[in-house]
Parts: sequence; structure tokens; C-alpha cells
Amino acid sequence: MSKKPVFISRHEELPLQGGSTSLFLQIMVGIAVFLFSVTLSGVLAINSMLLNWNESILGSLTVQIMPSTHLNQDKAIAETLAHQEKALDVLRNINEVEKAEPLSDKQLTKLIQPWLGDGISIQNLPIPRIIDVKIKKGASLDYMDLAYKLAQATPMASVDNHKLWLNKLIRFADGLKLLALSVLVLVVMITSGAIFYTTQTSLGLHKYTIQILHLMGAKDTYVAQQFAKRSAVLALQGGFFGLLVGLPTIFGIASLAQQIEGGIISEARLSFFDWGAILSLPILAGLIAMITAYYTVKQTLQKMM
Amino acid sequence: MINANSNINTKYPAIIEMQNVGIRYDQGPEILSDIRLSLRKGSFHFLTGKSGAGKTSLLSMMYLAQKPSRGTVSVFGHNVNFANRDALAMLRRKIGVVFQDFRLIDHLSAFDNVALPLRVCGMDEREIRKRVMELLQWVELDKSIQATPATLSGGEKQRVAIARAVINRPDLLLADEPTGNVDNDIAPKLMKLFVELNRLGTTVVIATHSEKLIHDFAYPRLHLQNHGLKIYGPNDYTNMRGNLV
Repeated sequence: MSKKPVFISRHEELPLQGGSTSLFLQIMVGIAVFLFSVTLSGVLAINSMLLNWNESILGSLTVQIMPSTHLNQDKAIAETLAHQEKALDVLRNINEVEKAEPLSDKQLTKLIQPWLGDGISIQNLPIPRIIDVKIKKGASLDYMDLAYKLAQATPMASVDNHKLWLNKLIRFADGLKLLALSVLVLVVMITSGAIFYTTQTSLGLHKYTIQILHLMGAKDTYVAQQFAKRSAVLALQGGFFGLLVGLPTIFGIASLAQQIEGGIISEARLSFFDWGAILSLPILAGLIAMITAYYTVKQTLQKMM
Repeated sequence: MINANSNINTKYPAIIEMQNVGIRYDQGPEILSDIRLSLRKGSFHFLTGKSGAGKTSLLSMMYLAQKPSRGTVSVFGHNVNFANRDALAMLRRKIGVVFQDFRLIDHLSAFDNVALPLRVCGMDEREIRKRVMELLQWVELDKSIQATPATLSGGEKQRVAIARAVINRPDLLLADEPTGNVDNDIAPKLMKLFVELNRLGTTVVIATHSEKLIHDFAYPRLHLQNHGLKIYGPNDYTNMRGNLV
């Protein structure tokens, strides 16, 4: 046709935007994303903290030499130091050990200072001697073998590989992960439920138009795609607002945690990938919405001719 | 008999075939009983009968909005009872329907309403624009392309509905009182469109009350009476009947 082109704006056949059901969906998804972003950031932070600890702890262990109970103080010290030397000998002959250094008197004094105060002479106290052992990077040390060799050399040595108390923390973190998983399941259920409900309502609302589309030869997929697209956009918007509220909350909790003394929590840092995961939550919500809407429509339309 | 000539069967295959078809709603009595019907490619029929005789029910089986309560309906050689949803959708794309109540989508413009059958097929927008503009011009609605049905008169709505029914150059055109609301001067023009489509190979069924229409165009008549169907006129009529030897 040689006529001048006329601008014709295309309207959506199924005007799914607007209305209270859309707002309901956005709010539900917003709340879900908010809850999950906060939970996820907490779990990721604790996880990264544990990973840091684990790494530094796996590379080291402590050997403790119990003090001799000899009545003569000088002899007792000499005996303890002799045991220490024997333990050092064993440790330095193990391939996986990079370095084995006994803590100096000064270091020991510093360690007990918080409990016993200043002006304590370590010589007068029956305290254990400590050997700090660094293990070569990547080497796997056989702890049982080490303990056996040490016991052969001296009965006063005992190995502490820090695993015990770390394991308790790991169990705690695992509990938190389980919590996060339950929140995730809840979030997915809320999102899918909200989408299912709004899609059903919307299908009822647009029944007449859908019937016409069918009569014109539209496949169920054609209708389902329009619903899926719209739901994805709504969930994305809702999720974005949820994240917008979630981020300041995460920063707020983080700054409160920083104030806790001891620096334990301050080791909790979110990595680049952790942030990536948190920031992509609205996209996840959008995907869930899209898939749920698509299959809800397909299922519901099956019942129509 | 039609079947006597196998030449007809290959050249003019049955577009719609009904055998022992009955239709009832819920547990009510049968509205239509024992309908036997075979409409060949290129045929043109009027469908008549009093109000409530079942014209709309018969048509709705033809445009695949309804399955028969009993018997078999085949459209384009496919048994409707066994066709899945996607197959039915593909069959509907070959059927153009003009509804008595138009069934236009209220929030869409005349242009978008007419474009609907092309869009559901996934046709290119430029091609859609070209075809729709051409047709809207032909039905004298080129000034109302952006108008929504609410702002159109009854006759204009009917012309939009007709344009939508023929935009996809259907193999089967079903129309329920298509000239009921249009002005006297445009009715012959619309009938000319149907006749022209029929000449090009489209099978046409028009439900009407208009004795004038039936008289002016001497096409065979499917008449519904007492839940049954009677055929008046040459039942082996096709648009190219003259070419048959």
C-alpha cells in the first residue's frame, strides 16, 4: 500500500497490569524478597566467617606440654623444658610440619596476663608450655599418627587441633543454613501462592477475552506467555522494592554487629558473589513468578474447550 | 449421491462432516438430534431455522467451540473428539467466524481487533499492518482504525467483526446474521465479499433470517426444524460446480 504510514499503537490483548491483585502480588513478593535478602545475607556472612576461621585453623595446631609436678621448682622447669624439646624433635621431623616454635616466656606471660594480672613470674607457676605448629600449605597431616609419635616421645604432650570448638560453631552455622533454607522454601511458596491466586483471579476476569483469543486460533501457550510476562514484571518490581528495603536493613544489622567487642563478628564479610546472590533475588522472584503463572494458565485452560 | 463420484471427493473434500450428531446441555433434552451433514470445499450454504432451533449450537460445533454430546464431527478431516487443544487451535486458524453479538474485545481498537487472528499466528507486524489497513479501507472503516467498539455504531461493529473473520483468508467462513445490523447499502457489498471469498475457495455458511438474502442468492439452504436438519437445494453445490464433469 502506498498510503502514508499511520502510527498505530498496539494495545495488550489481556490488560493484566493495574488493579488490586497486581498490587497484592507486588507487596507479597516484596515482603518475601525482603525477608530472604536479610536471612541470606546473615547466613552468607556467618559462612564466610567460618570459612576464614577454618582456613587459618586447618593450617595450624597447638601442642601442649603439661608441667612437671616435681617438687623442686628448678628441676620441674628443666623437666618440662626437656619434654618440650622431645616434642619439638618429633614435630620437626614430620614432613608436613612447616614450623614448630615453642611460645617464649614473654608470650606465655602475655597469654595469662588477662587472668592473673601484671607482675607474674612464669617461672613460679606450674603452667603448661605451648608449641605453635604451622602445617605446610595443602599438606594433610595424620593427627592420629602425630599424637602417637608424640606420646612415644613424651607422655606430657597433648595435641589440640582446634577442631572441637570450631565444629560446634559449624553445627551452629549449619542450623542457621537450615533456617535460611526454610525461609527460602517459605519465600518460594509465598511467591508461587501469590502468583497462583492472582493468575486464577485474572483468568476469571479475562475469561471473555481469552475465549475470543481461543476462537481466533490462539494456543494456550499464547495466552500463558502474556500472563507469564506480566507476572514476571510485577514480581521483578515487587522484588526490587523488597530489596530496596532489605539493603538498609542488612547494613543496619552489619553496623550493629561491628560494634560487638571481640572482633568475632567483624570477620563476617560478604564477598562479591554473596552480594551478587543477594542482588539477584528479584530476578529469582521474577523467574518463579513467570514459571508459576505460565503453568497455572496452562493447567486452568486445559479445563476449557 | 455425493459419494458416487470419487472425483468430487478428491477435488472437493469434505470440510465439515457430521454423523449422528446430537447436542444437549447438562441433562436437558437434545437440542439437535441425528444431524448428518457434509459440507464440501467451496460450498456456500445458508443456515435457517426459527430462533432457538439450534443454529448457534450447530455453528459453534463448526467453529470448534463445542464438542457434540454424541456422534462425530470432523472438521478439515480431523475428528474433533480426538483432537488435542493445540490441534484444535490450528484448525480454528483456518476458520473465520462472524458472531451475532460480534464478540469484539472492548479495550482494543478496531485495528487491533481485526489484527487478532494474524497476531495469534505470530505474523510479522508490518505484514499485519498492511493487510489490516487494506481490509479496513475496503469495509469503509479506515477513519475509525483507532476507535474502540464502544464508540462504534452497530453496523460499524459488524463490519469490524466481518473484517476480523476474513482477515486470515479462512478456508471456512461461518457467519451468524452478518448483515443484520448493517445499512442497506453496505449489505450487498458484504455479501459480495463473501461470494468473492467463496469463489476463491472458501467454504461459507451464513445463518440468516433474511428471506431477501436467501432469495437474492440462490444458494442451498440448511434448515433446522424439530431438532433435525433438512437440506434444500442442490446439496452437492460448490462454487466450481460448472467445472465438474
